[in-house]
Amino acid sequence: MAGSTAMNFSGAGRRVTSPSTRDPAWVRWTLTIVALGFLALFLVLPLIVVFAEALREGMGAYLASFNDRDLLSAVKLTLIAAGVAVPLNVVFGLCAAWAITKFHFPGRALLITLIDLPFAVSPVVAGLIFVLVFGLQGWLGPWLLERDIKIIFAIPGIILVTMFITFPFVARELIPLMEEQGTEEEQAAMTLGAGGWTIFRRVTLPNVRWALLYGVILCNARAMGEFGAVSVVSGHIRGETNTLPLHVEILYNEYSFVAAFATATILTLLALVTLVLKSIVEHRVRSQMRRAAEESMA
Amino acid sequence: MSIQVRNVSKSFGDFKALDNVSFDIPTGELVALLGPSGSGKTTLLRLIAGLEDLDPGESSIRYYEEDMTGQSVRKRRVGFVFQHYALFRHMTVFENVAFGMRSLPRAKRPTSEHIRARVHELLALVQLEGLAGRYPTQLSGGQRQRVALARALAVQPRVLLLDEPFGALDAKVRAELRQWVRRLHDELHITSVFVTHDQEEALEIADRVVVMSKGKIEQIGAPADVYHSPETEFVMNFLGQVNTFQGRAVGREIEFADIRVAAADGEERRGEVRVFVRPHELELNASPNGRPCFETTVLRIHAAGAVARLDLQLRNGRLITADLSQDRFAELAPALGSTLMAAPRRVHVFG
Repeated sequence: MAGSTAMNFSGAGRRVTSPSTRDPAWVRWTLTIVALGFLALFLVLPLIVVFAEALREGMGAYLASFNDRDLLSAVKLTLIAAGVAVPLNVVFGLCAAWAITKFHFPGRALLITLIDLPFAVSPVVAGLIFVLVFGLQGWLGPWLLERDIKIIFAIPGIILVTMFITFPFVARELIPLMEEQGTEEEQAAMTLGAGGWTIFRRVTLPNVRWALLYGVILCNARAMGEFGAVSVVSGHIRGETNTLPLHVEILYNEYSFVAAFATATILTLLALVTLVLKSIVEHRVRSQMRRAAEESMA
Repeated sequence: MSIQVRNVSKSFGDFKALDNVSFDIPTGELVALLGPSGSGKTTLLRLIAGLEDLDPGESSIRYYEEDMTGQSVRKRRVGFVFQHYALFRHMTVFENVAFGMRSLPRAKRPTSEHIRARVHELLALVQLEGLAGRYPTQLSGGQRQRVALARALAVQPRVLLLDEPFGALDAKVRAELRQWVRRLHDELHITSVFVTHDQEEALEIADRVVVMSKGKIEQIGAPADVYHSPETEFVMNFLGQVNTFQGRAVGREIEFADIRVAAADGEERRGEVRVFVRPHELELNASPNGRPCFETTVLRIHAAGAVARLDLQLRNGRLITADLSQDRFAELAPALGSTLMAAPRRVHVFG
């Protein structure tokens, strides 16, 4: 899945190389071939395999695999998890980015570090943390049991880990842009008499809308595709706590290869759509960053 | 008095940006806060606007006798123009100018026809009528600054505050825009304060100049006063070019560069002093003409410009500059390496 956010915006201005600073031709060609070969081997080939395997027994078998109640419930759960996690992370991301870039407060550096935590922690460990906190033997387990609240091996747990795994995406997209844009426009709006909410709605938010959308796309892709963390807390109950990626695994383990790959094509198509959207939006974000940089230098 | 500043201090950590500053701005004047970077001028402007909080203490800021200390910037009704314009980048020129009126609470908000009419009136005032639909990035620096000014004026501010308003523009646009701002001020008569580090700009358009250094006010006065009668060495040095000499005071007279002349202020002094002579206050002659003068050698001549500027070397090796009118320059026709007699017309003394 498209999971990398390590975007580098610093190279917004295109670098022009002159012959005197350019590397020799063989170096450029070797590097290009190595890179392309790598891409072909590790990205394009698996992509082809997914579709080839799914269509191995023909279109009929491929389409028939979708006629499965468990698959439908997996799709539904995936949509629910993403549908809750993404909006909440948009709110969280906006709050965090706003706080970090517009104010200086104690604990600011800590917050910046914490936002990256889900990237640093292995998803399996992340899932385990939730089991240890909310599971039957966990800290809150007895308390939850008494009140008959099920979190682990149930939908709330899946939503919680999905949120944990995806919460850096929106904030990380917004912070560099908002940092670049500074606070002068907000100050100008204040001198013009605008209140905090008006400033947010009419100045801050429109200024970051493309970066926000970009963050949402990445966040959503990861939320729908997350495997490790969800796998730990889900309990793999068919038709109940199975998300799409988990369903693929189950089918595969049951030797239903066509059905497994057919399900995988849904995720693959989602990834492709995400990639296309991502490149469109990325373009807008970059031009916005460039403008912000120009303006701050003007 | 439309703005009264009393005992205002501001620190950023250990750095004291403003140290107990007090002054008044009379209604309807255009006042310049002039100083080098780090002098506290921008901090002072931002404190007047309410964009920074005052250090706790006996300080106060009043607009038209009304206490503004602690009042939110939203309530102060200031027009603030930022150095880098701070236009709303995703809004058109029209929307930028309309922003203040559209942000008013519903009860006070004018109708959209009224807003439209007022925006166009303001755009006419700043001579940008055709550009209402443009975005800030599609405008030149000078145009952006005028949009920022129209936007600030749209809320009918009680005072207009401008932070280095011409700082980000190139030299020619700067000169035009500041003249234009002066004329606009004469039309509107709104009490205005602008920050600048450019003494020429301050002296050219301000009614009154507040010269600042290291968080304190050095001198306040009309441009001619601060230029011709600087009260401190800093003001002397900061406002225009000046030649500096070491001298010795004997009563009302000063000895320096082998001559003895009267000090401009006529005060009695004793001992070591620093002597200042502006380049245009040196009279140059081919031979002594009876006034106290010292001998110099012509090192360089810059004849391009309104005045001719000569770099001269004293007998002890020190370098000074002198400005001559082009007429006098033609009359004197000095050659490189020739000797000229320099007679100070006016001598400022500090120390």
